[in-house]
Amino acid sequence: MILRTPSELLSASFPRSPARRRAILALGAGAAAFAVPTAIAQDADGRKVLRVALRAAETGFDPQRIFDRYSVGICENLFETLVSYDYLARPVKLVPLAAESVPEPEEGGTRYTFRIKPGIRYANDPVFGGKPRELVARDVEYAIKRFRDPANRSPYEWLFQGNLAGLDELAERARKEGKFDYDTKIPGIELHGDYVVSFKLKQPNYNFLYFMAMPNVVPVAREVIEAYGADTMGHPVGTGPYVLAQWVRRSKIVLERNPDYRGFELETRYADMADEWDRRAIDALAGKRLPLVDRVEVSIIEDDQPRFLAFLNHEHDLIDELPFEFINQVLPNGRLNPQLASQGVRVFPELQPEITYYTFNCEQLPGQPDNPVAGYTAERVALRRAMVLGHDRNQEIAVIRQGQAIPAQSPVPPGVVGYDPDFRTDAQDPDPPRAKALLDMFGYIDRDGDGFRERPDGRPLTIRYKYDVGGQEKRDTAQLWVTGMASIGIRLEATGVQFADLLNDKRVGNFQLAISAWIADYPDAQNFLQLLYGPNTDQSNESRFRLAEYDRLYEKSLTVPDSPERNRLYREMTRLLFAYAPWRLGVTRTFQHLQYPWVRGYKKHPILYTNWKWLDIDVPMQHAAVR
Amino acid sequence: MTAYVIRRVWQMIPTILGVILLIFILFNWVGGDPAQVLAGKISNPAQIENIRHQLGVDRPYWYQLWVFVKQVFTFDFGRSWSTNELVSHIILTRIGPTLTIMLPVVAITTGLAVLFAVLVAYVRGSLSDRMVMIVCTVAMSVSFLVYIIVFQWLFGFILGWFPVQGWSESFWKNLTYYAPLPIMLAVFVGVAPELRLYRSFFLDEIHQEYVRTARAKGLPENRVMLKHVMRNALIPILTNVGINLPGVFVGSFLLEVFFSIPGLGREVVTAVNRSDFPVIKAVTVYLAIITMVINLVVDVLYKFVDPRVTFK
Repeated sequence: MILRTPSELLSASFPRSPARRRAILALGAGAAAFAVPTAIAQDADGRKVLRVALRAAETGFDPQRIFDRYSVGICENLFETLVSYDYLARPVKLVPLAAESVPEPEEGGTRYTFRIKPGIRYANDPVFGGKPRELVARDVEYAIKRFRDPANRSPYEWLFQGNLAGLDELAERARKEGKFDYDTKIPGIELHGDYVVSFKLKQPNYNFLYFMAMPNVVPVAREVIEAYGADTMGHPVGTGPYVLAQWVRRSKIVLERNPDYRGFELETRYADMADEWDRRAIDALAGKRLPLVDRVEVSIIEDDQPRFLAFLNHEHDLIDELPFEFINQVLPNGRLNPQLASQGVRVFPELQPEITYYTFNCEQLPGQPDNPVAGYTAERVALRRAMVLGHDRNQEIAVIRQGQAIPAQSPVPPGVVGYDPDFRTDAQDPDPPRAKALLDMFGYIDRDGDGFRERPDGRPLTIRYKYDVGGQEKRDTAQLWVTGMASIGIRLEATGVQFADLLNDKRVGNFQLAISAWIADYPDAQNFLQLLYGPNTDQSNESRFRLAEYDRLYEKSLTVPDSPERNRLYREMTRLLFAYAPWRLGVTRTFQHLQYPWVRGYKKHPILYTNWKWLDIDVPMQHAAVR
Repeated sequence: MTAYVIRRVWQMIPTILGVILLIFILFNWVGGDPAQVLAGKISNPAQIENIRHQLGVDRPYWYQLWVFVKQVFTFDFGRSWSTNELVSHIILTRIGPTLTIMLPVVAITTGLAVLFAVLVAYVRGSLSDRMVMIVCTVAMSVSFLVYIIVFQWLFGFILGWFPVQGWSESFWKNLTYYAPLPIMLAVFVGVAPELRLYRSFFLDEIHQEYVRTARAKGLPENRVMLKHVMRNALIPILTNVGINLPGVFVGSFLLEVFFSIPGLGREVVTAVNRSDFPVIKAVTVYLAIITMVINLVVDVLYKFVDPRVTFK
């Protein structure tokens, strides 16, 4: 065997000519030159630049046509709603934005009249022909109608379905004729001059103001929409503090300060001086004309590792929703990692207004496979309740979610109007012995000795659980269900499907048990309790839960403003949920948001997606850190 | 040769029609309902039906298929269902970043694989040869994802030699600043299997009688390897490169996701997840055409590499 060194290997084939050696050295030097040290491009004239990352790609910036939170978060900065939320107030509080004031419900909660502030201008756009364009009431009317235009396929059409007089008829006519008539006036939207718009609802709705605070419900200029036609996603023109300066789809979004924006000051009257984040925000922002950040550079980084590493590398100034897999590195034993602490990194823990839950399909649909968990008989309810008791939610929190969650005690999460912090029940606490006793009592017994129970009539019992395959966490929770049910003698088979397929299966009732989640569209319990409202079956009521008593309580709660009476109704609905177990309540997740010390004024809002217009940047500190 | 090329081009048409039919059947059979994804959190059956109507998926299948065929031959696939961006714009803007990564990867990987394959084939059976084969086997056994995670962490974060992620609008900045790490990663992963394959090609040639004759005639070893063995081994190497070349135009989804490169690979997977049929259609047809064209080019190149090849 002939032994050869690497140099011998090379020299055997290539003669050692000086020219060749020089060529190789030059090649190596060139390759080394490519490996430049990382350098963050800095704004040379000292402008304040905020650098952030989003964890999912955007779809576009036409507010009436989008629903993904990342695109909507960008739109929050480009457009303005009539009313919005105070930055510091907790619980959240509505405040005027484009409107002069937050209107009071009139005519028993069926009328809301907004007065728009005069002089609010849209960002400059060629469509306006060089002339300033003021925000007027008809822009609000036009935007609302766009939700019901079938051509827009608006995901938020439901906001204005069945509530504004005349709008449903207009939408139906558009469906038949193929074109929406924006010029037809409807009794549901009244314009009084250029600055007053009044909405007349068919029924009382005390959450209508929250609808109007949603970032999709923003006025738009009709001439802009008509000019850009099919390309409105890429040409957002709003009255917000920022404009879209650059957009490389799925890669980078750059917002620049809107030169035509009127500015605002931080409202401090709802601040809690005992809260250090409020104090810091006031110290940083009080008395200054906002927004202070001149430019926001948004990177799209879909995977967790590069997003996290980019933050550690000072490529970004903050990271919202720290990926769970890095929790133990950043917060070992719940305390900030000393290296990060030494850099002055701050952590804002947030309990998001959302819940996860596992939904049983309570209905046996014709043509669908036999569903052993469907129905409202004592046996079926007992089976569902036993499965709830057999599912170890504590392990899910401790292991799968790494402690970054709290058990959901009710379908209404903390931070939402109607949440009762004192409400507690053990109806959904893990209790395998109780689960087994319940199953035994109602005839779910292992007759053939295979370790798994059969139905009361002796037929085999297999529960099918569906989850979407996007993410290890979903697979882990599925496995937890399999083992948990096995421990109480129930055979459960978990099937992973694509997200779109899971959506479809849940909508058509092609499942027995599936994972779900819901984040607040607006901060009221109604947004969560409507998930079990019978008439919402085929829509948001995935469990197809139809209980007359629940529906009666829900409909009554719609006619009542926020009050102890309404909270009582909510409690009753929650008790019915526990009694009939259409859901296994999951968790409310805790997210950790990190910022470097040069980001000033930070406080994560539970409902608004971004807080960029309330931030300040200490430029010298930022520059020093990234050099 | 002209007649051969024309005949091959004609043969592409039934292949394209077969691809169209296959994609259409697959999408409508196993593809998710795009209306469900686009409908948002709260919607009712009427809204779902409206979305289907707007997308045109409520039309009879024969009509949808006819529209698909027209789109292929006019190269107009309309707009993305999820973002409303023109599909042609999607492909034209995403192909650049993909090729910025993949073309250097192919060139460097092929070059290195051929070089090292020649060297180890030359010293076949030696300790060096076996060590290289062991290293290649071990390297191939590690998942690509592991390489990405480790390389990104080590070279991007710990050593700081490269940015962790990112992309710019400048071609040169992308090529010299953002692309080197993903290129290096892909080359590192791609060289091992190709080196092993090309080594076997060279070994097949080395054992041929003409090589023994050439040595017996007193030709220097490097001339034997580079002029004679290499030339004959190029045919299967060319075939292998040709097989892999269409993949260059779609790129590596993992690289593009982890390094935040706005390329076509990432776009395709997003389109599949969203059941965005116009994008899926366009990329599939475009890839089929590219594959057929590359196969034709490779077949024509055979003639120049090996003059004994004739076209029938």
